[in-house]
Amino acid sequence: MAVDEHNLSEARKLTDARKLSDARKPGFGLGLLKGMAVTLKHLFKHNTVIQYPDEKQVLPSRTRGVIALKEENCTVCMLCARECPDWCIYIDSHKEQIPAKRQGGRPRKRNVLDRFAIDYALCMYCGICVEVCPYDALFWSREFEYAEYDIRELTHEKEKLSDWMASVLPPPELEAGAELPGRLAAAATTTDAPSRTATPASKPTQTSSAVETRSEQAADAPKAPTAAPTASMQESAEERTPQATSATQVEEKIAPDKAESSPEEPSAGGGRGMDKDEGVPATDSPSGEGTPAQEPAHTHESQAAAPPEPAPIPSKEAPPSAAELDAVYKEVLEEQLARGSSPQVAEARAKVARVKAERRVGRTPTPVHTDKPVPSAPTRGEPSSPTPSGAPVAEEPQPEQGPVAATASEAERDPEPQGAAPEPEASAEPEPEALADPEPEALADPEPEASAEEDPEAVYERVLAEERAKGSSDVVATGRAKAARVRAQKGTRGPQG
Amino acid sequence: MPEIALTTWQILLLKVAVILVVVPMGALVGGYAEHKVMAHLQHRLGPMYPGGFHGWATTLADGIKFLFKEDIIPAAADRKVFSLAPAAIMVPIIMVYLVIPMDRTLVVEDLDVGIFYLLAISSLSTIGILMAGWSSANKYALIGALRSAAQLIAYELPIVLSAAAVAMLAGTLSLNGIVEAQNFPFILWPPGIGLALFLVFVTGAVAEMTRVPFDMPVAESEIITGPFTEYTGMRYIFSHMFAEMGHMVAFGGIATTLFLGGYRPIIPWEPLELIPGVVWFAAKTMMMIFLFLWIRPTFPRVREDQLQKFAWKFLIPVSLALILFTGAWVLYV
Repeated sequence: MAVDEHNLSEARKLTDARKLSDARKPGFGLGLLKGMAVTLKHLFKHNTVIQYPDEKQVLPSRTRGVIALKEENCTVCMLCARECPDWCIYIDSHKEQIPAKRQGGRPRKRNVLDRFAIDYALCMYCGICVEVCPYDALFWSREFEYAEYDIRELTHEKEKLSDWMASVLPPPELEAGAELPGRLAAAATTTDAPSRTATPASKPTQTSSAVETRSEQAADAPKAPTAAPTASMQESAEERTPQATSATQVEEKIAPDKAESSPEEPSAGGGRGMDKDEGVPATDSPSGEGTPAQEPAHTHESQAAAPPEPAPIPSKEAPPSAAELDAVYKEVLEEQLARGSSPQVAEARAKVARVKAERRVGRTPTPVHTDKPVPSAPTRGEPSSPTPSGAPVAEEPQPEQGPVAATASEAERDPEPQGAAPEPEASAEPEPEALADPEPEALADPEPEASAEEDPEAVYERVLAEERAKGSSDVVATGRAKAARVRAQKGTRGPQG
Repeated sequence: MPEIALTTWQILLLKVAVILVVVPMGALVGGYAEHKVMAHLQHRLGPMYPGGFHGWATTLADGIKFLFKEDIIPAAADRKVFSLAPAAIMVPIIMVYLVIPMDRTLVVEDLDVGIFYLLAISSLSTIGILMAGWSSANKYALIGALRSAAQLIAYELPIVLSAAAVAMLAGTLSLNGIVEAQNFPFILWPPGIGLALFLVFVTGAVAEMTRVPFDMPVAESEIITGPFTEYTGMRYIFSHMFAEMGHMVAFGGIATTLFLGGYRPIIPWEPLELIPGVVWFAAKTMMMIFLFLWIRPTFPRVREDQLQKFAWKFLIPVSLALILFTGAWVLYV
């Protein structure tokens, strides 16, 4: 390649040199005539002037001219005014009381917009207000004729801003195969859930993409484990070159959502569940291998601590073959590319998946730990745990000594998620909802393999519904529901081992 | 035709009045043409509103605007010289028109030494430019004036030499005589030599007008219209705008007379003779003006040293050689 480029540049230099020498040949003034011919030719070409006030340019329909206000969508949250770099948005409002909806309810207060003005003498058309508006109250309009004779009149009030809404087009159609925006995708996931549970292995693609979508749409995402979905995106893109270690780091962050989705795992959520299982008991119980106390601490320590931990496991499982790992890698890569991720991101994710596959095998021992007390007490206590029958383990080749066979880098990798990833999850959960777990599990009993997921999904939906009923905001509701699901997964996995 | 007895003085006054109308009109039309031609060469429209139809009144409005502007004379300026300079620039340009024959009889004065007079007068405006540059007490004005003087001297020579060759071909210095001598315009005959003489003349004329490829003296991007930096209002329009346009029309007329056969048809053919001479003259002059306007947006400005080199090292030797060829042609053909 380098050679080609070299040749190419050489060739280019040659042609340049030839052109130059041609240009330097005495032209006997013919060059001047050529120039005159060029300008004369242009004399007869159609001019490009648009006589503005008389005729108007056909602007692209989504031209960013001015900012229009959809008044009824504004909740006076003031985000636009605060984010405006020029502070050119003026908002006034008052509160109105609206009577309680139900008998005995508390009357609510509502913000009513009195004034919304943008000072176009200050506005620099950065569009941050449009971006930042959470309720779709601000839009770009293609209008542009709003000049005034006095600079003070350039502060346009909401009436004028609302008039401009007339020229705002509805959002464009999504392209075929595009990712759904946040909420729709979330809906898609939930509807997917049953089918996924039914055929966990066959369905990974869609679910994973949906899940990913959801996590990427930071809009509704304070679910504890996915706390940094966007960050992980960026990082995975950046870190694609450095090999194993960086992949591990990425994996740490992606883990929560990836774990559910990565196709090679028989049970979505298996990976995460196990991560947690390791981490949680480690912190809680002294009954581990002695290392656990240190595990939650940071990477380096836990590295040191790592070796002893695997000890009990080895006999169980065999490490996945290189071919398998490659298959996983390819699968994920193709999937990502098909979804339109950039090659870098796709590669990074594929690597993550491979590493995870490797590691998960190495760690499948988790069941051993899960015997230890786990915070979600009810689940553990439940006898109904047929689920454990090995759902996650089922398809796995059983590595005997994952960690032992693993390379040094793998050894490094292993402890990290245990130390870092599980910790926030464990600490993030509020306790009370853990009680919710047993029910869905009981329901799920008949189908042991699926239960590992179905329970959590059911929990998710139920908690979501509960939260909505309570009047929590969407964000909070989905957050709690996700937390509950995570707990459910953890719980169901507990008895497995 | 009824006989109208007019004294010589009355006739002279009438002629002067015609000239005083023709020159400003020429400048106005030339200015408008410049706006429009340049615009269209650049895919633009140029002025479109003044006057209603394609902005025909633009230059008129411009002129009126300039007339009403404040006349500022810098404190450090040499007031008398400063205020006289525009006249010193303008008068020679108007005087050029005196000898240009627009038709057989439509000429203010058919001097026997027409060419000589023409060349002498047309270089007089250099003095006005020097006056303007010196009296402005402004370094840009002075630089511009000196460049202008140097350039006019350098390019006056090729003009004079090519005009001398034309006089040799015609065998007379009278402009009417030169036109009458052109059964075929000199640009076509003698073949090659005539065209070369024409090109030398046009190049020199563009330089004398300080128009674009040779507009170093008034380069607005470095010395801010040179000698006219300090001029405002009417003085500015007379010394610069008017002078440039007047110059352009005058040189168009001169080139027409010397090389394109003046008021005579381009080829000696009976039907063409029916078209009045004024029309022929006007058409040819307009072609020349279009050529000058066409050159302007086409070529970039040349550097001062390139400009001098081109005159002294190329144009003057070439025109000397052309005089030699012309002499040979006159003698042996």
